[in-house]
Amino acid sequence: MFSIPTLLVLVPALPLAATLATAALGKKVLREQSHWPAVAGIGLSFLAALLLLFQVRAAVAQADAGPVRIGYEEVVRLWTWANVEGAGGMEPGSPGPSPPRQIALMDFAVEVALRADPLTAVMLVTVTFVSFLVAVYSIGYMHEDPGYWRFFAYIALFVFSMTMLVSVSNFLMLYIFWEAVGLCSYLLIGFWYQKPEAAAAGKKAFLVNRIGDFGFALGVFLIWTTYGTLNFHDTIHDTGLTTMGVLGQSRLAEPGLFVAGGIATAICLLLLLGACGKSAQFPLHVWLPDAMEGPTPVSALIHAATMVTAGIYMIARCAPLFHASGDAFQAVALIGGFTALLASAIAVTQTDLKRILAYSTISQLGYMFLGLGAGTLPGITAGMFHLFTHAFFKALLFLGAGSVMHAMGGVIDIRRFGGLRHRMPTTHWTFLIGCLALAAFPGFSGFFSKDEILVALHENSLDGPSPALYHILYLAASATAFLTAFYTFRAFILTFYGPERIPHEAGDHAHESPNSMTLPLVILAIFSAFVGAWFFFTHGFSEFLAHTPSLAYPAMHTEEAAHAPSVHAGVMVASALVAVAGIGLAWLLYLRWPKTVDRLTAAMDAVGLYRLSFGKFYIDQAYHVLVVRPLAGLAWASYWFDRYVVDGLVDLIGLAPRGAGAVLRSLQSGMVQFYALAMVLGVLVLIVALLV
Amino acid sequence: MIEHELNLLTNFLVVGALLFGIGLIGFLTRRNMIIMFLSAEMMLQGVSVSLVAWGRYFNDLDGQILVIFIIAVAACEAALALALILMLFQRRGNLDIALWHDLRESNLPPYVDHELPEIPPYQSGPWPTLTPAGRRPDLPQQETDYRSHV
Repeated sequence: MFSIPTLLVLVPALPLAATLATAALGKKVLREQSHWPAVAGIGLSFLAALLLLFQVRAAVAQADAGPVRIGYEEVVRLWTWANVEGAGGMEPGSPGPSPPRQIALMDFAVEVALRADPLTAVMLVTVTFVSFLVAVYSIGYMHEDPGYWRFFAYIALFVFSMTMLVSVSNFLMLYIFWEAVGLCSYLLIGFWYQKPEAAAAGKKAFLVNRIGDFGFALGVFLIWTTYGTLNFHDTIHDTGLTTMGVLGQSRLAEPGLFVAGGIATAICLLLLLGACGKSAQFPLHVWLPDAMEGPTPVSALIHAATMVTAGIYMIARCAPLFHASGDAFQAVALIGGFTALLASAIAVTQTDLKRILAYSTISQLGYMFLGLGAGTLPGITAGMFHLFTHAFFKALLFLGAGSVMHAMGGVIDIRRFGGLRHRMPTTHWTFLIGCLALAAFPGFSGFFSKDEILVALHENSLDGPSPALYHILYLAASATAFLTAFYTFRAFILTFYGPERIPHEAGDHAHESPNSMTLPLVILAIFSAFVGAWFFFTHGFSEFLAHTPSLAYPAMHTEEAAHAPSVHAGVMVASALVAVAGIGLAWLLYLRWPKTVDRLTAAMDAVGLYRLSFGKFYIDQAYHVLVVRPLAGLAWASYWFDRYVVDGLVDLIGLAPRGAGAVLRSLQSGMVQFYALAMVLGVLVLIVALLV
Repeated sequence: MIEHELNLLTNFLVVGALLFGIGLIGFLTRRNMIIMFLSAEMMLQGVSVSLVAWGRYFNDLDGQILVIFIIAVAACEAALALALILMLFQRRGNLDIALWHDLRESNLPPYVDHELPEIPPYQSGPWPTLTPAGRRPDLPQQETDYRSHV
């Protein structure tokens, strides 16, 4: 019915149309009904993405039978945005092009092209599905907010940007939409801009992201100078010549066409910096916990399920570049492992429910980086699989937290409420499922995806380029899993069990949320419970993803015989035990022996550990002293220099005519004959000048 | 013949220059507005004389045509200038140009001429009376007062 190109265009076009409609009509016409364009647009976009996924599946099956290609991709060229002929020259003998294709390589052509391949299809479905549920949830949550229409316009704009980000086929376009989601994030975090914390958090998120974006931009420049093109795909010219795309079929097909060595590592590290910014990895993770100042649906949508996955997507997309570099994957894994452990250690002591979830997001994103950092096909697909399952259960947890916050009259501190399970039964059950999935309890989706990452790390530690590193990372990942289970259930038990406590802000509002809020919770809970097991036992996810060109090229497959997902009984049992132990410890401490918690806290505080974790390892403070203060000083000095030295010089020049005017002004006596005399003298001067 | 023409030209030019110079000096030194106006006219005529002289020297009518225009323009100018001078005289009762310096910079002091003898303000003197002809129209009191000064 719909062809792949039509669907590819429809997926981003519908949310864009919704944005424009809401922006144009929301304030005056739609008012309380402003959610309809966004909900309808994103919902239809989800249907289109789903159809696209099935069509890509069918096409992948056909491609298997057809002529040999590197994975499956279909590129839809919409138009050429910019074409500068002969923009860049390649030095002869540079490893980018093979000689006969060199001629067409000089053009700087930015094609607005969308691509369909398994990776994009999966991302599109995930993004639009979660966004749709969040949009439905927001109808209830944002009810009676003065900026109701503005909120839905932003949400739809965000979905447009994110769907474009995952479907464009060009590094420059990727960068543009990379920035666009950053902008949407800024707008949505600072949605309640009259609240100073929210405005500051929006600014912080934007600025910290800028650091990453700067690295990403440099990476894109370096890709252009190295490869002579920014397109992912190959371009076949009228002359029959082919410009090889950076990740095109022809480059993937032949070994040795990717630049190796220092320059490749530089590209990858710059891209990694960009990914760290967007995916909130150490050292650029500081913006994400603050981003919780935004409305809760935003936290669920952007800062848990979709936007922060842009970095993961980008690294998965650029896997061949990282592969060519060799060492870059280890940097990815190292950052991921460190961030995962750091964030989970912070989350253990936080008291703000949304902040706990924010740190768990950082930690889980670190997990995804670990999976990608394994560098093997199972590792990367495991990272993407974790992204997929995480999107469901993290959105569920955030929306659940939002439901609690809604009922508690905006209070989100877990010390101030408790025992809510009777008052909010639906939220309680769905939150429990989300927690079990996040804690990787056996049988729930998080368990399978996390297990695949652990298996990939474990295999790398057995036989890989640097077994010791991966062994340490495996242990770190296991420790993270334990901490994750512990802090997740700490928050869960403190919120829903124990004696019932309700803050006075709640008033008579402490009841279950409306249907538009609980329905998405139930749907997400069902997915969080079963989606992992379904794909784990059918192996459908990783096999499907393996047909992405970036993941299907031969170099990816040399290290392992086949890309069948391996099941390690030992790893699986170990991770299950770790999860159960974490949950059990939380249950014992917070439900059975609450006194022990205080004693334990005091003991930890004596050695400074508790304070360190509670203070988030003082990273924000360190940045403030090391980065913000010197920069503010520099800014102040620059301001002073500009104000008094540069402006002073300009003012001085401005004073000269005024001074001359002040002197000459006394000549303006108003006497007619004086003017006449001046004219005569002037004529005389002219005559003398002519004669001499 | 040519020498004669050259001499003639020189003479005319000398006369023109003298007229111009006298006019210039008169314009710059005299403070009576009517004399200044006459001086300006004299400068104009000096230029006209030289134009005619050059026209004759080159055997060309253009110079004379131009002078005809100058005379026409000067006649208009004379009408206007005299009307203006009359207005100014009615304002201050005096023809001294030094009384008019309103266009000076606002922060400069007004020009005060100490050497100028104190001229008593113009008194409405005996005006020539004309033989009444016909009936005098009924004018409002204000108008009659005003007219009496004209």
